[in-house]
Amino acid sequence: MKLLACVKPVVDLETMSGPHYLGSGASSGGTTCYRINHFDEFALEEGLRIKEAFPGTTLDVITVAPQSAGSALTRGLGMGADRAIHILLEQEGYVSPSVVARLIARRVEGSGYDLILAGVMSEDDMHAQVGPMIAELLSMPVATAVLHQTPIDEGRAVYVEREIEGGEREVLELLLPAVLTVQTGINRPRYPSLSKCLRAKKELPETIHAAAQPAIAPTETLLRVTEPRKLRAGLRLEGAAEEKAASLLAILREKALIPEARHAQP
Amino acid sequence: MRNRSILAVAEHAQGRVKPSGYEVIACALRLESFRQLRVLVVLIGDQPEAPAREIFQRTGLDVIAVQTPGLASYNGEAHRAILTDLIAELDPACLCAAHSSQGADFAPGLAARVGAACITAVERISVDSDCVIFARGASGGKLVAELAATTRLAVITVQPGAFSADVDRRYPQGSIEFRTVNFEPHRSRALGFKPGATCDKGLSEARVIVAAGRGIGKQENLSLVQDLAAAFPRSAIGGSRPVCDMGWLEYKSQIGLTGATVSPQLYIACGISGSAQHVAGIRDAGFVVAINSDPNAAIFNVADLCIVEDLTTFIPTFLAELHRASETPTSKENGR
Repeated sequence: MKLLACVKPVVDLETMSGPHYLGSGASSGGTTCYRINHFDEFALEEGLRIKEAFPGTTLDVITVAPQSAGSALTRGLGMGADRAIHILLEQEGYVSPSVVARLIARRVEGSGYDLILAGVMSEDDMHAQVGPMIAELLSMPVATAVLHQTPIDEGRAVYVEREIEGGEREVLELLLPAVLTVQTGINRPRYPSLSKCLRAKKELPETIHAAAQPAIAPTETLLRVTEPRKLRAGLRLEGAAEEKAASLLAILREKALIPEARHAQP
Repeated sequence: MRNRSILAVAEHAQGRVKPSGYEVIACALRLESFRQLRVLVVLIGDQPEAPAREIFQRTGLDVIAVQTPGLASYNGEAHRAILTDLIAELDPACLCAAHSSQGADFAPGLAARVGAACITAVERISVDSDCVIFARGASGGKLVAELAATTRLAVITVQPGAFSADVDRRYPQGSIEFRTVNFEPHRSRALGFKPGATCDKGLSEARVIVAAGRGIGKQENLSLVQDLAAAFPRSAIGGSRPVCDMGWLEYKSQIGLTGATVSPQLYIACGISGSAQHVAGIRDAGFVVAINSDPNAAIFNVADLCIVEDLTTFIPTFLAELHRASETPTSKENGR
């Protein structure tokens, strides 16, 4: 089988401050640190497990990202993917999921992939659109929020369990080629191996310059990024930890949410 | 010229409209209030008659009930095909669906097929100089992204709980149109359903829930959360999705959209980031206390009381304070 995992580099929020980040890394100046989207690690791991279970299977990894975010591919190769494809963006900043999906679909069309895997969403934009859009553009069936999959029928179809409301699962069968977007908890993604990472750093990915491609008009624009509204009082306790503990206890007592004194309880 | 329409795709099950269906209608009515548009409710399924009548009676809105014989459960291929045809026929300005396991599944592909913008998990709608702005959560709820469609049609999915399902009757003149579409899925086949982890009964009955998130750092720190819960009578332990994904707690303890929805008098979130999927499960909690070392954690936006502290040191500090306070006789006891 021929597999493809779509990965998105996301800005490592720990390294950023202020509400100035979103999308594929609109940085507030300085160096932007990227890491692989957590959800996509589960997709990669699922691909690696199929590769290990079905001899002769290859797994490629693809990303649409600026140069500085190429480390996501290195991690993919480090985990065990065979080849890396980098659709290179000129700039950092918000990119419409419809553009990302079209760029990937353009490269993937006619390449003979049996199964395309992606995380259910990205941690930053949280659109959950690229996977199902790729499926549509390539006329493939799709299952979203997949929690279990097994290729069946000698690699002609895939058995899928997807998450629906209340933790229930919907069971279905898709003919291959197909797209699956993977939900967290489906597996425990492995750590990259050092030797594979070192090898990956020497190998250059296949690079496609997005700017050299026919332009794709985005379907929406990001107007601004704001802070969320407060839905509850949001009183912040101040002072040293001991003072906060005392305030918390006093407030819980006042609201009768904690017994007055332990020995007073029956 | 006739007003363009807003299609509100309402989900239904066992002959009843799901609450998300009314939320989608509420969102569509909000859009309608900005523009000269008219809301058309769309129902798809093998038995849409009863839910169609329910919506008609409750709202008076126009309803199109598309019957799909033989398709007992949701099918993405069928939804995309039927809605593509309806869009071609009606040229709506907007199509609203729930941001659910169904809506999130069919909406992006549908938008790609018809060349529409797709804006998912919409929480708020506003208008600014003729431009409709869709606000949605990003970065795990830490940020809000405001987007505007640049296409003739916008396909949007509505975040559960963002719009009130209390839709009043306002259109006495509505009608129901029944249609039948025979659709045979070509590339997918439904094989039924499997039950998920049964939610912990203790969670629904608890007066106090102490919940652990990824911020507890390691599994061993769960004992702190347990110690804290033990300070309250009728308490239970819950967790966010990542904690269950990592196997630190069983899935039956998961609180959120894909787990349990809870309504305790007191909810203490320990190291929980506050993703929309988790927050949806605690909307009806009485009093919410959040302890998180990240001062920008999204959970603080939905908390009554915010404590920026490392919970591994704060919980022992709080328990020591509690112990000290209960050792010291209170004035009330002195009077006995």
